[in-house]
Amino acid sequence: MPGKRCNCPLTPDPCFLKFILFHPIKALSARRAGAAKSRLAGWFKAMDELTREFLIESQEGLDRMEQCLTDLETRPQDAALLGEIFRSVHTIKGTTGFLGFKRLETLAHAGENLLGLLRDGKLAANRPLITGLLHLLDGLRAILKSIETMASEGEGEDSALIEQLVALQAPANVKQPVHAKVGATFSAAPAAAAPQAPSAPQAQAPVSAAQAPAAPAQQPANAIPAPVVQSAAAGSETDASRPRAQIAAAGSAAESTLRVDVVLLNRMMNLVGELVLTRNQVLQATASDPNMTLLSRRLDMVTADLRENVMKARMQPVSNIFSKMPRIVRDLSQSLGRRVRLVVEGQDTELDKSLLEAIKDPLTHAVRNSLDHGIEPPEVRVAAGKDPEGTLKLRASHEGSHVIIEVSDDGAGIAVEKVRDKAIERGIIAPERASQLGEHELLQLVFLPGFSTAAAVTNVSGRGVGMDVVRTNVEKIGGKVEIDSRTGKGTTLRLRIPLTLAIIPALIVRSVNQSFALPQGSLSELVHVPPEQAAKTIEWIEGAPLYRLRGKLLPLVFLDRLLMPAGEHKSASERDSFIAVLDVDGRRYGLVVDGLADPEEIVVKPLSAVLKVIGLYSGATVLGNADLALILDPGAIAVKAGVTMSADRDAEGADSEEEDTNAAKGMEYLLVEAAGRRAAVPLADVLRIEQIPLSRIEFIGDRPVLNFEGQLMPVEDSGGVLAAAEAEANSASQTDREPQIIVVVCREGNRHVGIAVSHVLDVAAGGDLFEAGTSQRTGGVTLLKDRVTGVVDLAGVQPLPVCENVSEDWNQIAETVA
Amino acid sequence: MSAATVSHKKVKASVLVEVCSVRLAETWFGVPITHILEIVGAVRPQPVPLAPAYVGGLVHYRGDVLTTVSLRQLLDLPPNEGAQAILVLESTGGCFGLLVDAVGEVLTVSSTDHEPNPSILDRRRKALFAGAYKLKDRLLVMLDPERLDPLQLSQAHPD
Repeated sequence: MPGKRCNCPLTPDPCFLKFILFHPIKALSARRAGAAKSRLAGWFKAMDELTREFLIESQEGLDRMEQCLTDLETRPQDAALLGEIFRSVHTIKGTTGFLGFKRLETLAHAGENLLGLLRDGKLAANRPLITGLLHLLDGLRAILKSIETMASEGEGEDSALIEQLVALQAPANVKQPVHAKVGATFSAAPAAAAPQAPSAPQAQAPVSAAQAPAAPAQQPANAIPAPVVQSAAAGSETDASRPRAQIAAAGSAAESTLRVDVVLLNRMMNLVGELVLTRNQVLQATASDPNMTLLSRRLDMVTADLRENVMKARMQPVSNIFSKMPRIVRDLSQSLGRRVRLVVEGQDTELDKSLLEAIKDPLTHAVRNSLDHGIEPPEVRVAAGKDPEGTLKLRASHEGSHVIIEVSDDGAGIAVEKVRDKAIERGIIAPERASQLGEHELLQLVFLPGFSTAAAVTNVSGRGVGMDVVRTNVEKIGGKVEIDSRTGKGTTLRLRIPLTLAIIPALIVRSVNQSFALPQGSLSELVHVPPEQAAKTIEWIEGAPLYRLRGKLLPLVFLDRLLMPAGEHKSASERDSFIAVLDVDGRRYGLVVDGLADPEEIVVKPLSAVLKVIGLYSGATVLGNADLALILDPGAIAVKAGVTMSADRDAEGADSEEEDTNAAKGMEYLLVEAAGRRAAVPLADVLRIEQIPLSRIEFIGDRPVLNFEGQLMPVEDSGGVLAAAEAEANSASQTDREPQIIVVVCREGNRHVGIAVSHVLDVAAGGDLFEAGTSQRTGGVTLLKDRVTGVVDLAGVQPLPVCENVSEDWNQIAETVA
Repeated sequence: MSAATVSHKKVKASVLVEVCSVRLAETWFGVPITHILEIVGAVRPQPVPLAPAYVGGLVHYRGDVLTTVSLRQLLDLPPNEGAQAILVLESTGGCFGLLVDAVGEVLTVSSTDHEPNPSILDRRRKALFAGAYKLKDRLLVMLDPERLDPLQLSQAHPD
C-alpha cells in the first residue's frame, strides 16, 4: 500500500495531496507500534473523531456494497456495480492503512485483489464468488463492529476467509487476459515507458506487463472514454483516479449535507414542542391587544414552519431498511432452496427515524416468514402450475397520516383450517369457539403469542414468535398489522405505521374534573348518552354495565370509577355521558367519560417510573391551553377493567358471531330508507350524512341539486323523498317547523353525489347473492340483515349539465320558481 | 449527603454548607442548594389518579413532564388549598419536584452545628430527615433529596 501510493507522486492528483496530508499521521501510526501502552491510549483518544468518521463511512460503504452484490447476481456484467463494490472495499483498505488497523487492512486487501480481477472482467461474477464476497462483507463488518465497541480489531482469525478469497482467484476462475484491450491502453499512452514498473504491486501474473505502465499514464488514460479505462487499466492502478472521482462526489454531497446526532435532533424536537406551547400562550395573552396581533401571528407562522422542518429533518426514506432485504432474501432463499424475486416499490417514502428503527425487526420477521412459510420450493410451485420463481413484494406508500408497508408473496398462503387446528391444539382457542369464527378472524390468530404453523421448527422461523413479535413491535409505535391470505395465491402482511412517533392525534376527554388524552388510533366511534336516556340505554348484568350499540351489547368501563374507586360518582342519569367506543387488540369496549373536548395533535412526554407502574397511562402531554393531560392507554384500561377478548365475545354472545361471519363475506353498507323502501349505499363511498332543511334543495330543470360547501352537487331522489317531504310540509304547514331531509353525501369517482333519504337505519355487512341455477353473482342487490336490499347505483347518477348550459338552466329555474 | 455532613462533624472540621430554607405549615426545612436545579413558584400540579399518595401531581417543566412529591402528604399534613412552590431537585434517578408551601432564604450554616436525627423521632420521619442544624433562634430540619426521590419513596412505601 505505501509502495503503491509512492509511485505516483508525479501525477497532480488530489489523492496525492491527501497522501501528503495524512503522511504525518501515518508516520505516527508507524511509531505507535513501539509506543508505550498509555501513550497509545492517548493517541487513540486523539484519533477518536477520525476513527468514528471512518467507521460511519465504512459502514455506509458496506451497506452500499451489500446492495450492489445482491444486484450483481442478477446483472453480473454491470461494470458500474463492480466499480461501486470495488470502491467500498478499496476505501476501507486505504483508510485502515493510516489508522493502523492491520487485520482490517489485510482482509480488505485480499478482497480488493479478488474484486480487481472481477472488475477487469478476468473473473465472472458467479454465485460462489458472490457468496465469498458476502462473507468478506460480513468479516469486515464484524471487525468494524469490534472497533466500534472495543476500540480494537478483536482477536478473530481471518486466514480461512482470506484463503477462500484467494482460492476464488484461482486460475480456474480466471479468464484469459484480453490482449486487445491492454493494447489499447498502450497505444493511448505511448509515454508509458516503464521506469516505475518494478514498483508495481504484487500484480496478478497474467496482466502484470500491462499493469506497470498504466500508473504514470494516468492522465492520457483518463482522456480515453471511461469504459475503456475501466476494462483495460488493471487492478490497483486505477487507485489514483478512483478516489479522485469519489472525492469529487463526496465533496459536493458534503457541502450540502451534514451529519447530525439523533440526540440533538430529539432535543430540537422537544424544544420545538416547548416553543409551540409558549406560542399558544402568547397568542392567548395577546389576543386582545391589536398592536401585538401582527407580531404574534408572525410568531405563529414561524413556529409552525419550524416544527414542520424539524420533523422533516428526522425523516428518512424507507429504502434505508428496504436495502437490507435483498441480502436477507438471497441468503434465506439459498439456504431454504427457494427461488425468489424481490420487488421493491415506494423506496423513497419517508418515515421518522425512530419509527424506521422500530419496524426493522418486524419487517425482517415478515420477510423471513414469507420465505419460510409462504413461498414454496420450486418443484412444488411447478406442480401447482406456478412460476418456479416466487415473487416477494415490498411496498411502501402514504395513506393519510400513515405509511403503509406491505410484504406480499405469491406463495402457498395460509391454510385457514391449519391455523384453526393449531390454535385448538395449542389451547389458544376453544374448539366450539373456533368453529364459529370467520376466515378473516381465524387468520388473525397467527398474531397470538406461541403460534406457529410451520410443520418443523427451522433455523429461519417456526419458533412461534415471529408474528407475535411483529404485532407487538408495530403496536408499540402506534401502528397496526393486518394479514390477508388466500390459499394457493399468497399472503399479504400490511403494517400501518404513523408518520411520527412524537406527535399523535388524540381526542381530549374530561373525567374526574381533569383532561385526558385518548389516542385516536383505537377510537372507532363516539356515542352521546343524554341523562334522560341513560337509564334506558345503559343496562346492567349483575353490576356489569353494558350499552346496546346497534343491537349488540358493548361492555362499558366508567373512567371515573376506574380512576377514583373510592370517590362518589354521579350516575349516568344525572349528567351527560359520552361513550368512546374503543377497539384494541380485538378487545372492544366503551369508555364512559363526562365530556369531550377537541381532538388535538399531542406531543407525547414520557412519565416517570413511579407513574409508569400505574399502567393506565402511556405518557403525558401539554395541551394547547397549557394544561397537562395524561394519555390514557386503551389496551391497559381494557386489561385493568377485565375486558378480555373471550369475555367480550361471551358477553356479545351469538349475535357477534353472526356479524363476524357476515363481515368475512362481504363489504359494509349503510342501510337507508327512502320513502318507505330500504336501500343500501356502499359504506366506503359515504363521505358524510347531512341533515338539511328541505328549502336548501334547489332545482336545475327538474333535477334536484344541493349547494354543498360552495359546490353544486346532484341529489339523487329516485325514491321520491323530496316529494314526500314536500307533501308532508304542505299538509302540516300550520306548524312553523321547517321540514328536514337527510342527504347522504357519497364519493363517486372524483365527484360528489348526494342521495336524499328519509332515514339512515344502520351499518351492516352485506352478503353476495347468487342466482338460482346459474350461480352467477347478481349485481345491484345485496343481502343485508337477511333481506334482499337494492344497492344505490352511484355511477348511474346523471352528471350535471356543463357550464354554458347552466346559466340558461338557472334562468329557467328562476322562471319556474317565479 | 447526610452521611457526609455527619462525618464532618466527627472530625470537628468546620465546613460551611449553603442550605435553602423551605416552609411547610409552621416548620422550616433545609435543602442543600447543591441539589436544587430551579425554584418554580405558584404552580398547581395536575393530579394523577391512582398514583401513590405521596405523588403531588405533574407539572410542566421546560418541555418535560415533572413528577412532584408532596411533602405535606409525606408528613401527614392536611393538603394545602392554595398554590405551592416547587423545588426542582436532581437525584440519581433523574429530576423531580418537591412541593412546599413557601421558599425562604438561602442560609449558610456550619457543619459543626449539625446534629443527627433524634432517636425519639418516628420511623417515617427518621427516614426522610437528615438531622438538623442548630440556628440561633430555631432548628433547621434537613431534608435528604435522595430519599425524597419518588423512586426511593416507592420502595419505602409500597402502598
